Amino acid sequence: MKIVKPAKAGTMESNDIYIMVYPNEKGNEIQLDSIVLKQFGKQIEKIIIDTLKELDVENALVVAKDRGALDYTIKARVETAIKRALE
Amino acid sequence: MEIVLTNDLEKVKEFLKEFDLSLDDDVDLTLVAVEDDKIIGTCSAAKNIIKGFAVSKDYQSEGVASKLLTKIQNILFDKGIYETFIFTKPENKSIFEGLGYRFVEGNSDVALLEGGAANVQKYVRDMFLKSDLDDGEKAALVMNCNPFTLGHKYLIETAAKENERVVVFIVEENKSLFPFDVRLELVKKGVKDLKNVTVIPGGKYIISSATFPSYFLRKEDDRLRAYTRLDAAIFGRYIAKEFNIKRRYVGTEPYCPVTNAYNNALMDILPNFGIEVKIVERLMKDNVAVSASFVRNLIKQGKLEDTKKFVPESTYEFLISKEAEDIIEKIKRSDSPH
Repeated sequence: MKIVKPAKAGTMESNDIYIMVYPNEKGNEIQLDSIVLKQFGKQIEKIIIDTLKELDVENALVVAKDRGALDYTIKARVETAIKRALE
Repeated sequence: MEIVLTNDLEKVKEFLKEFDLSLDDDVDLTLVAVEDDKIIGTCSAAKNIIKGFAVSKDYQSEGVASKLLTKIQNILFDKGIYETFIFTKPENKSIFEGLGYRFVEGNSDVALLEGGAANVQKYVRDMFLKSDLDDGEKAALVMNCNPFTLGHKYLIETAAKENERVVVFIVEENKSLFPFDVRLELVKKGVKDLKNVTVIPGGKYIISSATFPSYFLRKEDDRLRAYTRLDAAIFGRYIAKEFNIKRRYVGTEPYCPVTNAYNNALMDILPNFGIEVKIVERLMKDNVAVSASFVRNLIKQGKLEDTKKFVPESTYEFLISKEAEDIIEKIKRSDSPH
């Protein structure tokens, strides 16, 4: 699926993640900021990458501002942002 | 608690007073967090700059700040503004870092953070890749060239003689009488014969007036000092590092106090990043220091032909062309310092 416009999902509140998705010429790219970057940065990136793969997305710049979201929250936020970016 | 847009700026100003903050005139939207008809928090935006941010002491650490930030980000995002900046006091830096903002640069007066898709490192890397320059050592100049004069040319020539590779950044902010694309084009034409000189757009992180710290600095002098030092440090940490710039050239500044303060900041800050600052005496002609403001003054007085002595041929050709008519009209009517 192809990202055609910028879209967002989530909030910057505690235990949530704010996801912004933009069309990207250079394939998938992730830019993550997190209050738990040192402990869970790799894992959060992996969830985002896996979600992109599941949705067959290959041209997304995903900017993520994490405030300690759990795995399924991250997945849900990414899915929502991607869906909004397809229309 | 709810968060709403407000037009009642007087109330917001009153609230901000408690925090020793004022609300700038340039804000185009203001949010308030309200509980029991009382303002407990606020933030505003002026284009892509988030400012006037405060939350009541009694409500801090209750998620008011993150709700305000989310809402303002959402509004800006929907307006197509994807990169945002926050200027704040250095002691508040970590609050915003905790809210997903990235620290760009700071000093004892101000910290600059960026949010959304803004990413200084990535942006500067893209700038470098686009420039087609190699990674050898370089000298650099940052110029507005409003318009390009023999004074600018002399400065670039001096750098070109003393260095193997020179890169000239043209200030991209479109606040000058000559529009950015005209300024860039005239410099490119004017230095065509200098083979080791590359002229490129300065981008978002060099002298961009959109990123001017304002509300929390009282005195004009402090503000200027903070801004120029911030700009110099961003140049040193990000731009010079990526482009491998070892020297920066500036002209002596006889007229403009802002440029003078800027030169001082460069001399103070850049050596910390291993960059030598070279000051070149201005080119004199007929006992005047050749400068763009001098040329604009001649134009203002209707002495277009007199500019010939002070600008390269390519600039003069442009000034007398049809394309320049509107700009010249604007200069004649304007009192702008730039």
